[in-house]
Amino acid sequence: MILAKDLTKIYSNGVVALDKLSLSVEKGEFVFLVGPSGAGKSTFLSLIIRRELPTSGFLTVNRQPVALLKKNEIAFLRRSIGVIFQDYKLLPNKTVYENISFALEVIETSSREIKQRVYSVLELVGLLNKARVFPSELSGGEQQRVCLARALVNRPLLLLADEPTGNLDPETSWEIMDLLREVNKRGTTILMATHNKIIVDKLRKRVLALENGKLVRDTIRGGYTLET
Amino acid sequence: MKPKTFCYFLHEAFCGIFRNSLISLAAIGIISIALVLFGLFYIFTVNIQHLGTLAWDKIEVRVFLKQDVSNTEKIKKQLTQIPGVRDVKFIPKKDGAAALERLLGSKNLFTDDDNPLPDCFHLSPAEKANIDEITRLASAISGVEEIVYGQKFVNFLKVLIRLVLVMGLVLMIFSALAVLYMVVNTIQLTVYARRNEIEIMKLVGATNSFIRWPFLLEGIFLGVGGAFLAVLLLTKGYGFLLGKLRRLNVYIPLLRCTEVNQPLIISLFAMGIFFGGSGSLFSLRRYLKD
Ligand SMILES: Nc1ncnc2c1ncn2[C@@H]1O[C@H](COP(=O)(O)OP(=O)(O)OP(=O)(O)O)[C@@H](O)[C@H]1O
Ligand SMILES: [Mg+2]
Repeated sequence: MILAKDLTKIYSNGVVALDKLSLSVEKGEFVFLVGPSGAGKSTFLSLIIRRELPTSGFLTVNRQPVALLKKNEIAFLRRSIGVIFQDYKLLPNKTVYENISFALEVIETSSREIKQRVYSVLELVGLLNKARVFPSELSGGEQQRVCLARALVNRPLLLLADEPTGNLDPETSWEIMDLLREVNKRGTTILMATHNKIIVDKLRKRVLALENGKLVRDTIRGGYTLET
Repeated sequence: MKPKTFCYFLHEAFCGIFRNSLISLAAIGIISIALVLFGLFYIFTVNIQHLGTLAWDKIEVRVFLKQDVSNTEKIKKQLTQIPGVRDVKFIPKKDGAAALERLLGSKNLFTDDDNPLPDCFHLSPAEKANIDEITRLASAISGVEEIVYGQKFVNFLKVLIRLVLVMGLVLMIFSALAVLYMVVNTIQLTVYARRNEIEIMKLVGATNSFIRWPFLLEGIFLGVGGAFLAVLLLTKGYGFLLGKLRRLNVYIPLLRCTEVNQPLIISLFAMGIFFGGSGSLFSLRRYLKD
């Protein structure tokens, strides 16, 4: 699903965010991406959806060389990837419903299907009663769940989750994790960047650890740190 | 594009206008000011042109015949055939004498037999005709003694008409550029206010053309709004000016409202639509680069 070879990203201010990163993630996997703040986790996710271009190295997503895509191909790539952004990226002047339906309008889905799908993901994340509300009227955790709903609504092949439990209480965090595992069981590949030690240690999935932009550990059924 | 998608674009465009209502109002205001400027130059130019043609119509070339020329019918025919001559009028010597008498206020200046005035033709040149060419051809006709016309006045008028036309065109082009500049700047504000929205649309997989449509429509609506205001101001204002002049009994043969309005309305709306749309696309280009 994802294949990176010597992937390097140096931002225009000279920060080396990724340093010759090589890894691969197969279809259907559930992978945690851990590492200290500033290790390059979000940067890696940005390269996958081509928000940023790699400085050097090679990256394919779903067998497509991301750096070589044309404008329209980028749009189509992004439609197959759902993203939960670290900062949510909800539109403040659209309701919860519109924030989610918007991802379907973009790909010209019929009105009936939009309605049906939006309500079904809202039910999934437990926000049916907040459909007509604006994001500013939601708590942080609720906004995060709206973001999850938007990521799931067009049934992506790959789900990138950047700190999806960052603002949630432990109980809600587990609800979200259950949701993600459910989605994963249905075949969606999941790559989740997180600082949540408890969740990583408990779930025992594959763990990729980054430090200063380098891959320092890749363990199957791993923990948050080497010892755990 | 499905009709449903187009409805979505329309809806988004209206939402964009109403959610950023202050910026939208500013945009409409600025577009209308720029268009009013353009319209003023337009009205000014066409009126000067109009006055120029009116003056042109008053120009007469007088062709005096030699004494005792008898084949006036033939000369008239020849004069009529000169290109650029709109009308030929024969003034026999006794009419000339009558005119002279009227002018001097005396009676029976000459008797029919000792009238020293020559027979004469009045030529009215067509619009834009080359008067020098007309006089050259007319003087070549046998029996023609002398040709008189207000040479200085004609030359002055020619220069004036051309000058006003060029000046008006230059000013109109400048004000059109000003419209474009202002539209781009104001729409850039609305685009800037929505840059996050654009980014998020891109991140969920919207193609560039999908993102452009609502903005294009929004720009067009703003342009139409501005044009509407400008048309209202200019047509009402021009009507008011004409009414005022009439009430003050100042007679200037300006164009009537109905003659000015139609081209004005068409060109202002066309400019509003064109500049609104293209300004909006131009403002977006930075955000759609990759
Ligand atoms: N747009 C940017 N321009 C310049 N430097 C950036 C940019 N984004 C990130 N960086 C830098 O790149 C490095 C990696 O950042 P990144 O956001 O990938 O870290 P992260 O692992 O996601 O951290 P966190 O756990 O805090 O989210 C950091 O040093 C950061 O300062
Ligand atoms: Mg991050």
